[in-house]
Amino acid sequence: MTYLYLAIAASVLGLTAWNLWTEKDWRKQATAAMVAIPLLLRVLLIK
Amino acid sequence: MKRHHATALAVTLLALAAAAAASIRFLDHRKPEPIVRGPGVTEVRMLSEWLPDLAGSPGDTEVYVFRGASPGSSMLVLGGTHPNEPSSFLSAVLLIENALVSAGTLYVIPRANASGFTHNDPQEGAPERYSVALPGGSVRTFRYGSRATNPVHQWPDPDVYVHAASGQTLSGNETRNLNRGYPGRADGTLTERVCLGIANLIRAEKIDISVDLHEASPEYPVINAIVAHERAMPLASQVVLGLEFLDIKIGLEPSPKNLRGLTHRELGDATDTLAVLMETANPSQGRLRGRTDEALVLKGRDPYYVKAQALGRLYVPFDENGHPIEERVGRHLSGISEFAFALSSERPDRPLEFAGVPEYGALLEKGLGAFLKPLP
Repeated sequence: MTYLYLAIAASVLGLTAWNLWTEKDWRKQATAAMVAIPLLLRVLLIK
Repeated sequence: MKRHHATALAVTLLALAAAAAASIRFLDHRKPEPIVRGPGVTEVRMLSEWLPDLAGSPGDTEVYVFRGASPGSSMLVLGGTHPNEPSSFLSAVLLIENALVSAGTLYVIPRANASGFTHNDPQEGAPERYSVALPGGSVRTFRYGSRATNPVHQWPDPDVYVHAASGQTLSGNETRNLNRGYPGRADGTLTERVCLGIANLIRAEKIDISVDLHEASPEYPVINAIVAHERAMPLASQVVLGLEFLDIKIGLEPSPKNLRGLTHRELGDATDTLAVLMETANPSQGRLRGRTDEALVLKGRDPYYVKAQALGRLYVPFDENGHPIEERVGRHLSGISEFAFALSSERPDRPLEFAGVPEYGALLEKGLGAFLKPLP
């Protein structure tokens, strides 16, 4: 179950990072950056 | 580099910087607050000595041992089963820093659910910490934790928690409640393994009586009360009378046979110990409370509970004076002293005698800080 959860979190993190990199509106980029932080913490099993 | 790539890097760095700043306080919640080893402590052991599988895990926790000069009965005091019930933890701390045992052995676990101290409950607005001033001008600060094991340490919760020994079902988040996991099991969750470690300690050390300290919200029926396993009822009845002589009103409830996983039921059934649980009144964990801050934790005053009392919604008297932490800790410590006295009266050949425990009146008069030791 944990590995499945990590896979989902890593996938969403990857898509968020892709969105952050390709988006041209800085406000949406800022949103993506903030969304990516908790996802990163979860993938690293910190939170 | 394209412009939008530069902004992507900039906002990422800003988000990381903000998260890093916030994480300092967040991660600080995982550092145990120091407890000063009092003159009566003879050993500090770890729970993993009774369940080696716990070694190095977030469930391992200190066990303070007070071995008297002469043999006698033994008592285990569990503080911090629910780390959002501060009088439980603080009573254990005051015992550790002040108690002197002359006969018998006293075991104190101040952070029974050590993992529960490393976070607090989302959306409760509870303070991260509370501080108590000492007469010398210094301050002792303690964490206000969660009712349950940290989900970082035990995840995921099932939809339905099934108590292993009985098949009783409860909501999924109760799987992280230490006081629903007894008697525990070796191949269970972290919470169940901590329960097993405590049960193993009781069996191995032949603990005569186990006192689990709790707090309850003022609208909860079991409050300012002792809950006792049927084998512990005669002793608990004596304690109720003893506390009456100290002008401390306390109820006595029999441990329900169909409410499984709790100390007063499972430790009484699974071991030879006399299992009891004590409750005091903590408005900072109630549903009807107003602003939830350090003052509410320590002073226990809340105008909404005064209104609720006037409407007859509470199970404990509640006026403008509230229920300060000194009163709550004083009730617990008086109860523990009375249990030791009653046990010694029943078994004069195996007494459990200790001194130095702060008395109820002295706590109310001098405050909690007068009995906490300054940090070295």
